[in-house]
Amino acid sequence: MTADADSPPLLSPQRRVSGWMRAYRTLFRWELLGSRLLYPILIVSQILVGAGFVIGFGLLIPDVDADTARYLSTGAVVMSLILVGLVVSPQLIAQQKMEGSYDYVRSMPVPRSAALVASMSLGLMVAIPGIVAALGVATMRYDIVLSVHTSAVPAFILTLACGSLLGSAVGHAIDRPQATLLFTQLGIVFIIGFSPVSFPVERLPHWLSNLHEFLPIHHMSLLVRSSLTEGLVDATVKSWLVLAVWTVIAATVTGVVMGRRA
Amino acid sequence: MTVTTDVIRVRSGSRFWADAYTSMLRFESRNLRTYLTIGLVIQLALGAGMTLMYGFYFGDLDSAQQTFLVTGIPTLALIPIGFVMVPNAIMEHKLHDTYDYVWSLPVPRSSSAMATFTIFALLGIPGMVVALLIAWVTYDVDLVVSWSLVPAVLFTSSIGASVGYAVGHVVPQPRVISLITNIVMFLVLLFSPIVVAIEQFPGWWADAHHVLPFWHMSVVIRAALTDGLVTTPVPISYGVLAIWGAISGVAAAMIVGRRR
Repeated sequence: MTADADSPPLLSPQRRVSGWMRAYRTLFRWELLGSRLLYPILIVSQILVGAGFVIGFGLLIPDVDADTARYLSTGAVVMSLILVGLVVSPQLIAQQKMEGSYDYVRSMPVPRSAALVASMSLGLMVAIPGIVAALGVATMRYDIVLSVHTSAVPAFILTLACGSLLGSAVGHAIDRPQATLLFTQLGIVFIIGFSPVSFPVERLPHWLSNLHEFLPIHHMSLLVRSSLTEGLVDATVKSWLVLAVWTVIAATVTGVVMGRRA
Repeated sequence: MTVTTDVIRVRSGSRFWADAYTSMLRFESRNLRTYLTIGLVIQLALGAGMTLMYGFYFGDLDSAQQTFLVTGIPTLALIPIGFVMVPNAIMEHKLHDTYDYVWSLPVPRSSSAMATFTIFALLGIPGMVVALLIAWVTYDVDLVVSWSLVPAVLFTSSIGASVGYAVGHVVPQPRVISLITNIVMFLVLLFSPIVVAIEQFPGWWADAHHVLPFWHMSVVIRAALTDGLVTTPVPISYGVLAIWGAISGVAAAMIVGRRR
């Protein structure tokens, strides 16, 4: 290939940044418009999941005391943040693979990192209404008091980023859409049922709580919960570190998988 | 090569239908074999998993609450097969463009439909039994198993499969199907009095469950596993389930019988 006379082979950093930003904006719009019928449904389902989770378990659990309610409501927030990244994004990727638009998107002349960040931004957009709904419902129904710390901002962002990167690593790495869907279904079961997101970690059997020391989910909940409540749990430096390590691993895998040529 | 076309025999009759049915049973079970195996695994994981999971969420339970939990598990293990796997299996056909192919096969459509239905109605049962055993062992409650467990399970499983079959055929878009199945699971796992007493629910929501099939499914199965725990009339639950089966049967028949 011969380089066009108008476009120099190496762009200046400013032009690369502005080119990346333009690609990001375009992709964000493209994905948003391309699935414009899907996003309202996703947002509504996030709201329902967030609020429903708090109310639903409140219905099932025989006696809901203040601590149970605080666990449930902060757990719903964590759940929204994790599920958008870890479940919704691989499912969207699987959907694109099934419909055949996956390769099409990859063929577009834009940086793949811009595509990734665009879909993460959409994930955040989808997650926020669910989080607000979960906290709103919890404060109304159970009269709990939340105290929001400044650590909420980094905790939320790191949780979402880690979940999204893990989700996209899975979505891109697994070629068969059905396998991805299964994986995410099992992921939902594991996160909701066997992870100390909405109940104290002490209720888990010993080996499982030990396992969660090394997985990201427990630490995500610790960080988010300690940033929203007082005296329920304490987040330590270890949680930040574990989560950071997982984020780096997921980013690396995503980068390698997305960067490979088919 | 000469082809004689003077005799065109329209094949029909019960013998032909039965042959077509067994062929379609073979066709579908081989076609879906990976999916069916995975489904069985998921069901076991879900059945056993929900037992433990509700335990984590609920904290300490008294013995009546434990019995409710254990006897609700079989229903929970059956529901995903009918309400989730059946529509998804039909969606698979649509996505792989084998949907029209299956209808083009020289068999009565009713035999094809019955074959799918049979596979899924029976598929749920082994997983359900194991899930029940796991729950029973985990909580060690007293169960009084009666012979009516057999019709209760067959009935519940069949209703689930027929509603799922109707949804799979009536709803054209795969995305909408997966949305519906997700909502159903959410509804069943969190908002249904399957593992807890219905009295624990607010009045209007309990009323809704007198119309929806899920609570009735748990009633007929719980009645066959316990003595005196079910206080509502069991025949009414059978009746409501039968209505659901009839509606979905008619809906499925209309779609399946339609020519394009």
